[in-house]
Amino acid sequence: MRGMKWYYVSRALFAAALGAVLVLGGSAWWIGAAAGTLALAWFLAAPHVGRYTVHPDHGATALRRDERGAAINSSAARNGFVVSMLAIAGIIIYVGAFAMDGVPAPVLQWLLALGVVTYYASDFWLRRMHS
Amino acid sequence: MCLQNRLRESRLEKSLTQESLATAVGVTRQTIIAVEKLKFVPSVKLALELAEALGKPVGEIFWLDRTGAGGKS
Repeated sequence: MRGMKWYYVSRALFAAALGAVLVLGGSAWWIGAAAGTLALAWFLAAPHVGRYTVHPDHGATALRRDERGAAINSSAARNGFVVSMLAIAGIIIYVGAFAMDGVPAPVLQWLLALGVVTYYASDFWLRRMHS
Repeated sequence: MCLQNRLRESRLEKSLTQESLATAVGVTRQTIIAVEKLKFVPSVKLALELAEALGKPVGEIFWLDRTGAGGKS
């Protein structure tokens, strides 16, 4: 796609940086390579999948959400936040009721993951509903 | 009270594809599809841009159905 040079260059650098961060953080080299490759594959596909409007004149920020995409993203983010907060509240009440020492750290990781999963599931569902 | 439209008919009268209309108003083809199928209510700005791209007054393409039959409010 003409005029998209800076988009592709910036995303290639981002994918390489993602892989490097994972390797420097202690992951195996192949995990870093796989994550970087997957990220790069998504960035290469993104202008063609129909989720974004493409503005080559905007350089590295050539992809933009239109108003439907922004509305879906906003609803999905709200759903993820609400589910995370309700889960955290539930865990705190549960821990308080059973007089435990505190919320174990791994539980908080799972709550965060729950919020992320809710966000992507909502995004997927809303796109199907609104098309 | 639902927002109805005849976007599809107006687009076909001008022999425009969903893709070309989407490009003309700066949205994705999925958004045009969603508006035509009454699954997404466009903003006033997008409705005006669609009307302008199709060369019609906005009231000829979008209107309120006060009976509430079909569509999305």
